[in-house]
Order: sequence, then C-alpha cells, then structure tokens
Amino acid sequence: MKQKYERPTIRKMNTGLMNKFGTRTDFDPVETIDGVQVKSLVAEYGSPVFVLSEKQIRRNYQAAVRSFKTRYPKVQFAWSYKTNYLNAVCRVFHQEGSWAEVVSGFEYHKALGNGVAGNQIIFNGPDKKEADLTLAVENHSLIHIDHYDELYLLIDICKRINKTAKVAIRVNFDTGVYPIWDRFGFNYENGQAWAAINKIITAENLELVGLHCHIGTFMLSTAAYSVAATKLCDLAMRCKMELQNPVQYLDLGGGFPSTNTLKGAYLPGVDTVPSVEDFAEAITNTILNFGFAADELPLLILESGRVLIDDAGYLVGSVLANKRLSDGRRATILDFGINILFTSNWYDHKISVAKEAGQYTEETVLFGPLCMNIDVVRESITLPLLERGDQVVVHKVGAYNMTQWMQFINMRPAVVLIDMQGKSHQIRKPETLAYLEMMEEIPEYLK
Amino acid sequence: MKKHLQYYLSSALNSYAVLFFSKNKILGALLFVVSMFEFNAGLTGLIGVMASLVLVTALNFNKEDIKTGLYTFNSLLLGIGFGTFFSFNFTFWLWLSAACLLCVVLSVNLLSLLGKYSLPTISIPFIITFWLVLIAANGYQGMGLVQKSSSLLFELNTGAPTNFAKLCGFFDNLKIPAYALLFFRSVSAVLFQNSVLAGLLISIGVFIHSRIGFSLLLVGFITACLVNHLTGTYPDGVSNYYLGANFMMVSCAIGGFFLIPSWRSYAWAVAVIPFAFLVLNGLSRLLAIYDLPVFSMPFCLITIGLLYFFMLRKNPGKLQLTIFQNYSPETNLYQFLNGQERLKDFQYFHLSLPFMGAWTVSQGYQGEITHKNDWQHALDFVLEDMDGKSYDLPGIKPEDYYCFNKPVLAAGDGIVQEVISHIDDNIIGQVNLEQNWGNTIVIKHAEHLYSKVSHLKKNSIKVSAGDKVKQDDIIGLCGNSGRSPEPHLHFQVQATPYIGSKTLAYPFAYYASGNNTVLKSFAIPTKGETIQKAEINAYLKHAFYFQPGYINVVTDDQANKETWEVFTDVFGFTYFYCRENQAIAYFVNNSNVFYFTRFYGDRKSILFLFYQAAYKINYSTHRVSDCYAVDSENFRPSLWLQDLLAPFIIFTKNTYSNYIKPDNDGLTIHVETKKQVFKHQTRISNAEIYLDSKGIIGMDFIYKNRTLKVKWETGLV
Repeated sequence: MKQKYERPTIRKMNTGLMNKFGTRTDFDPVETIDGVQVKSLVAEYGSPVFVLSEKQIRRNYQAAVRSFKTRYPKVQFAWSYKTNYLNAVCRVFHQEGSWAEVVSGFEYHKALGNGVAGNQIIFNGPDKKEADLTLAVENHSLIHIDHYDELYLLIDICKRINKTAKVAIRVNFDTGVYPIWDRFGFNYENGQAWAAINKIITAENLELVGLHCHIGTFMLSTAAYSVAATKLCDLAMRCKMELQNPVQYLDLGGGFPSTNTLKGAYLPGVDTVPSVEDFAEAITNTILNFGFAADELPLLILESGRVLIDDAGYLVGSVLANKRLSDGRRATILDFGINILFTSNWYDHKISVAKEAGQYTEETVLFGPLCMNIDVVRESITLPLLERGDQVVVHKVGAYNMTQWMQFINMRPAVVLIDMQGKSHQIRKPETLAYLEMMEEIPEYLK
Repeated sequence: MKKHLQYYLSSALNSYAVLFFSKNKILGALLFVVSMFEFNAGLTGLIGVMASLVLVTALNFNKEDIKTGLYTFNSLLLGIGFGTFFSFNFTFWLWLSAACLLCVVLSVNLLSLLGKYSLPTISIPFIITFWLVLIAANGYQGMGLVQKSSSLLFELNTGAPTNFAKLCGFFDNLKIPAYALLFFRSVSAVLFQNSVLAGLLISIGVFIHSRIGFSLLLVGFITACLVNHLTGTYPDGVSNYYLGANFMMVSCAIGGFFLIPSWRSYAWAVAVIPFAFLVLNGLSRLLAIYDLPVFSMPFCLITIGLLYFFMLRKNPGKLQLTIFQNYSPETNLYQFLNGQERLKDFQYFHLSLPFMGAWTVSQGYQGEITHKNDWQHALDFVLEDMDGKSYDLPGIKPEDYYCFNKPVLAAGDGIVQEVISHIDDNIIGQVNLEQNWGNTIVIKHAEHLYSKVSHLKKNSIKVSAGDKVKQDDIIGLCGNSGRSPEPHLHFQVQATPYIGSKTLAYPFAYYASGNNTVLKSFAIPTKGETIQKAEINAYLKHAFYFQPGYINVVTDDQANKETWEVFTDVFGFTYFYCRENQAIAYFVNNSNVFYFTRFYGDRKSILFLFYQAAYKINYSTHRVSDCYAVDSENFRPSLWLQDLLAPFIIFTKNTYSNYIKPDNDGLTIHVETKKQVFKHQTRISNAEIYLDSKGIIGMDFIYKNRTLKVKWETGLV
C-alpha cells in the first residue's frame, strides 16, 4: 500500500519542566461508531452528521435506573425533552419506561404525540401558556408551578373548566452551590415555598401531589443533592404532619454532569465528575434516613437529561482547510462550528480523527465554517496532521446540541441513529432551502 | 313461613342425599321416592327425619350444619330400619321416638367427637342405636316390639300383586345381564331394599349427582364380584342380604369422596375391596353370636380407619385428602386442581426478594460452583448491565462491581437470629475459605423457617441478633466477604437457625421476571434469570384493595341494581356479599394481587359477572392468564364425559386472561374468557373494567352480540 504523504512540520523546542509521561502522541482513530464505518456514514448522510448510539442511550438509562432502583424502592425517570427532543430519541427513553418532562407547549404536544399518557407528563418551566395549562389539566398531567402568577392562572383555569389539577411546586434553596438558582420556583429559606403550598392546599381545584426542585446543571457536588433532598423531605413531612396532605412524590430534577470536560477545568471530566452512583447514594440515603414510614416513602422522580445521552452522541465532520495563523499556530477549519455544536461554548470536546494518522502531532486551533470570529470549536488541541477531506469525530455531543443548534449561514445536518443491531437510521433529514423558506411569506408588492 | 318451609325441605332432602355423600336435590328426591316403595319403612323414615329436624332446630343447633343433613340422616336410616324390621303397633311408635332421640344424640356427639380428628361419623349412630334396639327387643319381650319374620321382609312378594308390585316384578326380571340386575339390587340395599327398579332409580340419581361417584360404585361392585368369583366366598353372589352395598360404598367413599379423585384414589378403591371382605366376614361372624346384622358397620369402620391412616402421613404427596368438602367428587377435584395452582398464598410464608432493583441469578439451585449437596437450594445474585457484565471497567476493586454496597433487605418479617459482620471484604479473585459464609444475617420468619443472606460488606450490617425486622427493611449492604471471589449476594432458606445449616427449597412469593414482562408467583428463580420486585400500580391497588365494610352499588343498563358489601368470615377470609340475591364471592387480596377464589349463589347476578371479570388482577399491571375451576355445580350434561375422565385427564377448561392499558387518569383492564377443549379455543366473553384515581367506575361485559354496561358507585349506603 502506498504510504500516506505527511507534509513536514517545524516545531518549537519546548524546554519546560520535564514530566515522566511526556507528550501523548498515540491518538486512537475512531473509525467506527457502534460498528458502522464513519466513512460510510458520511457517504450516506453527508458531512457533517450527528450520530446517536441507541445502545449507549439504553446502556446509560439502564445504568442510571440501576443506580437508583437498587437503592430506593420507588423510582421514576422522566426524560428531559429539552435535552434532545428528536422523537426517535424520546421514544427510546419511553420504551425504557421513562416519563416525559417538558417545559413548553410544543414539547408537551410532542410528548403526547410520542404516546406518553397524560398523567406521565411533567410540565415544568416558567412559561406555560394558558391553552397549554388547560390541556395539561384536562390530561391529568403533573404541573410544576413556577411562580404565583402561574398559580393564580391555574386556579382560574380549574374553576372555569371545573376540573382538578394535579400540581407540585418548584422549590429553590441554598444547597451550598452558587449561584443559587433562585429565579425558578419558590424559595425555601424565606418561607415562600411554604406559603405557596398553603395556597395550593386551600385552593379548591388543586391537588398537591409532589414537590420539585432542580438545583443546577452540571453539578459537580453530590453533597448539594443531599441538602436539596433534606429540604424537600422537610417540606414533604410538614405537608403530611401539618396539612394532612402527604405528597406522592419528590422530584429532584436533573443536573447530573456528563463526563465532558468543562472549559477551564484542570483535569479531564472522566476523572473528576461524580458518577450517577454517587448522586444516587447521596439522594436515596437522605430520603431513606429522613424518617418516612416504609409504606409512605414518596416516589422519587429524576429528570436527568445530559448524563443519559451526552456520550451517546457523536458529531462527524470534515476538514475544509488548513492554515497557519499570524502567530505561527496551526489552524484547521472544519465544516461544523458553534452553529451546530453549541456545547463547544462550554466544553473542551474530545475530538478524534476518523482514520489512522501518523504519530506527529501539532497544537491546533479548530475553527468552524462560519464567517464569524467566535466560531471556534477548540482553542487548542493536539491533533495529528489533517488534510482537506479528512473526517473527525467529536465525542459526547448528545445533549443540547440537537435542540440548541442554529441555522445560521449553514443548514442543520442530518441526525442518524444506530440501532441495537448496528443498522443506521436517519432520524432527522438535513435541512433544505425549501424547509428554510417554508415559513417565509413575501408581501405582494415585493413579488 | 316460606323460608321455614324451604329450610325444612332442603334439610330433609339433604338428609336423604347425604346417604351418597351428596347435597344434590334430585338425588335426594329420588331417594325419597325410592324409600316410599316400602311404604311403611319409607313413612317411618320420613317421620324419623322430620322429628329429628324439628328437634335439632328447636334446640338451636347450628342451622348451617343442620342443613347439610348430617345430624338427621342417621334418623332416616333408623326410621327405615324400624319400619322394615318391626310391625306397627303402639309400642313401635314409643320405641321409635326413643330410638330417634338416642340416634340424634349419638349423631351430634359423635360428629363433634370424631370431628376433632377431622373424621366423619357416617352411619355409626344409626348402627349403634339399632343394635341396641335389636338386642333389647330380643331380650325383653315385654317391650312389645314385634319383629317381622324374615320371609315377610320383602312383603311386596306376598299377597295379591298390585300394579306397582307388577312393575317392580317386571324390572326384577328384566332381560339384561344378571350382573347388572345384581348391581341395581345391591344399590337398593342402601335403603334396605332388594329391588332392581329401586336400584335403577337410585343409580340414575347418583349419576346425575356425580359421574365419578357412579363410576366408583361400579368399580367397587365389579371388584367385589371378581374377588367373590375367585374365592367363592358367597355362593349366592355379593348382594347376599344387605352386604353388597358395603363394598360399593367403601369404594365410593375412599375413591372419590374423602380423597381427591385420581388414579391413585381409584387404585385404593379397588385395593380396599378384599380388605372389606375380611372385615365384613369377621364382623358378621362375631355379631352372629348376638344375632345382629352387620349393616354398614364394615363400611364405616374401614372408611374411618383408612382416613385416619392417611391423615397420619407426614406428607400427603400425590394422594390428597379432601380438605374442604364440597359434597361432590367433581367439585372437590376441580377445586383442588384449580386451588393447587391458585391458592399457594395459603401454602407458603411470603418471602420477597432481598434486594431492590433488577438482579440476576448468577448461581441457582443445584449450582455448578458451590450450591451442592446440603447447600444445593441456594441463590447467588449479582447486578448485570446490558452487556451481561457485573462490573464497570476495570473491575479490579469490589467498588467496580455494580452490586457492591447495594442495600440488602429482609425477605420477610421476623427476628434476627444470628449476625456476623466483622469479616474483611476480599480482594477480587481471592476467597476466604476459613470464614466461608462471610458476613451473614440469619432471620427467623416462622418455626422451622429461616432465611440467610451472606457475603455482606464488612461492618455494614444494621441489625443485631434479637432485633425484629419487617419485610423489606434494609439490613445490610452487599459485599465481598467469605467464599466470594467477586461481590455477590447469597440467599438461602433453611429449617434450622445455624450459619451453615442445610438449605431448603422455598419459593419467593411474587417477583417480576423476563425484563419485567411477567409476574411470577411462588416460584424459584433459575440461573441467568433477571428478577425484580413487582412495582405496584397505585390505581390498581387502590381500586382493588377492598376492606371489610366496603359497600358499593352497581347498576346495569337494564336497571338492575345490586348492593355489595365486603365481609370477613370466621376463618378470616374476605368475601363480597350481594344484599339483593345473597350471592357470595370469596376473594384474596395481598400486596401483589387480587383474585377471586369461589362463588356461591345466583350465576345471573352482576356479582357473578364481576367475579368472572376480575378473576385475577396483578397490581403490577402484568398480564394475567388463569383458569377457572371447571364449574360442576350446575346441571351440565355436556361436561359428563369430562367428569368421568377428570380423575385421569382434564381436557376442557375455561381460561381467563387480561391486560391493562393506562388512560390519562386511570386505566382499563381488558378481560377475555375462552373455552378450551384440548387445543381448540373459542371465545366466550370479553369484559372491560374502568378505573380512575377514586377506584372502579364502571364495567362493560361483552357477550357474542350483547353489551351490558355496569356503573359502579361507592359510599352511598
């Protein structure tokens, strides 16, 4: 076989402190995802393309369920739609037994469309439209109230349609992690939450069935969850003892981190982030030891998103060009950028080459394709020498990218799901101009 | 008034029917008619029954017991005996009433005395009473009882033949095989007769009452004839005097009534005949000293003796005694077969899985590694992921194993018997053969029932010896101590309290298996099976958790209304009682399932529909497939072939199945019942039960082309 040509590079001699590991030069290429050739994925679905591994989704879900269910008798997961609401993805979670957690009207309708029973949809968020609330009441969904205005609106709606709503309140509190997410829900420490609970109990058409919190995102401390669980349990106990209204469930929200490395972190995420097991241990021990009677233990609901799907998503892209910057750094321009890889704002994503490369590496800046200065995928990454047309694979991109991506300068690409048998399915077509212009209207005088 | 009449009629008919261990009214009526063939005897028999009935009723004995006829059928025999043996005169009535009283007293007392040993009295009170009468009458002529000469015994043959006598004569000389005539004569002997017509009518009655019972009469008769033929004991055949009936009744009692009919019980029904010959002949000779006939004494003694003999066995095995007497061999058999499958609730202490979540059996009973010999009935559990691995890479520390550090629960309520908690957890791959069991807890659940969990994590045990634990309490954490190369949980049941005791095969009460697709009940998981506790659906549990005092009203679209109330009987069993038509449906509800066990009463009632539709409900929403007990209580000739063969093979059954679909607020239970003959299935009916967070709201019953809608309301009364 003809050997691959590698252009020569000149590298500055680094004479810093010696370390016994040296610079890592072995970069394992990622040639396949779940047994499917990256090359064939690009050939079939174009580049860039998001690839999701159903096997990894299920593996993650089952592992998380295992962590909680082996420690606590009543556990329910609710798939956080905003993390990734492609219907195929949602259905995998629902098939595994997950409920739906939605934060907007269209997500609510998506959940219904995915066959989720009304009483298995949790409706969160500060923005619930009147029509959506009405539908949620009629469907017996679990409505998590965010603020007083919503509470009053809900009371009005229930009175008008003469139905009882099943509600919970979102509670925020100081868990020792800052900033406190006190913009959502009712505060625990200043008594606002308790006041809201009392209002709900006295409201005729509201049934308080649960308590909800969501203390943050990408939480790196398990202790915060212990604190949160303790405070929720305290409220639950007071609901039972003082108001004779025991709640059926505690919803601890989500916020468990994936193993991505946050920007600015010194050590890689894989080595520092607590596992779901650790969070489960902290949460379940707190509830089990709080003092509920064995048959009155509340159902524990979790709304994890990121940790269940992040590492099941890959983004495959191609090199557009190489250049050298004015300061001598190498730069590689890829066909994807922050337009579809929103999370590159947060993480130093791990990026692998898609085929065997030489052992020589170089510090590189990875740019996206946009005509925008901020379109940087990685500010500094050690990569082998790449050429135009070579493929790279970005790891752990399953969460938020396929919901927060934007259609700016470039269209959004296809999303592919590789099933349990290693067969690939396109679950979202690449966008087209027709799609883009579908909603546009041209005033008569411009025609 | 009507109620009184009904009570007396039913009790009187039962007094006749119970002669053949039956409560069948047709058989009772036929026996009454046949008894009247000998008018005097029949009349005195009837008088005996009615007088005794009035007596025990007036003395306030338990009405339910009276209704079975058990207190009074001996008086019936006594009356018939009196009428057969003695001529009517003034003293006849005096001594008859005296004897009747004695007979009733003996019946009640013996029933209670033998009842303590769960034994029947059969006709012993009658025999004792009548022997006393005969001995007394023979010794004291002054008593005035005049015995009919034995030539007069069959008085039908004397004097001018009436039309009825001609009819009897016609049947007596029927041109059918002599053995058939002999059979009917022998049957008639139960009522002190010797008439083919009488025997024929009784046989028809017995057949309508029970096909199994009739077949056993035949079995007894044929065997007795064979034995007699081979030995030549009675040159004039087995119907010699009244004796033939003894053999047949023994076969019937042993083969089908006091034992659950099966080929084993039939074998006993045959084997007991030579035995009966011996007892009968011996007794006859002995009693001949006092000129006493043996009557049915051999039958009584053999039946009671054998029953007691069977009862003393340590383990009933395959030859089962009838525990709950339905007065019908068919019902006994069908209920037994059905109950064997369905009523395990009452057979076992309820053990639940000693962990939370879905664990996999890594070594089952008779395992290849360590579950051998005295310790063969043990289970090892680990947690596995989708890929079948029990650890996260690299798997070199106990902490890498999914099951390590996971809570271990008490399998049932009990008292902690023994605890070891100081043993170090092993390095992966090493075993501690010195302290083989590692950290261990033994819990005593009942006498001779202990459960043991082993290889727990060092110092993780939260209980100490003597503590009371409740089912599902967390008692420790899964670890890697003792003979455990990698973390796992060892569970076993044992009959003795020691660490290292011999294991006992014992099932878990309820658990979900097959990726939570099936609910298994009273089963033992096998190697490779992944199992978890059944998750209870709050709607279902709330809707079906009927407690005593629960009252509801159902109304159908035909404007029929029934009010049901839940009661508990003296044995602690719960049942629905319908106020309008007195129907009763027994049910069981435990933490995992609701199911009906028996229905008594009007099969056209809505309660019966509900009994059929909610025959079994899994609170965990798992599908149910079950079988109804074959319904043998109605007159159903189409089942007669099955009845005859039932002790050997069951080829027809009615099956029940349901599945549950969630609604927005509540769920719907979809029920289907089918009839299955061999492999061929036909749909009988469908039903749907709707429930919401408040409980059941309604039901639809769908037959071939008819739908009945039923509304369910509570809290109205």
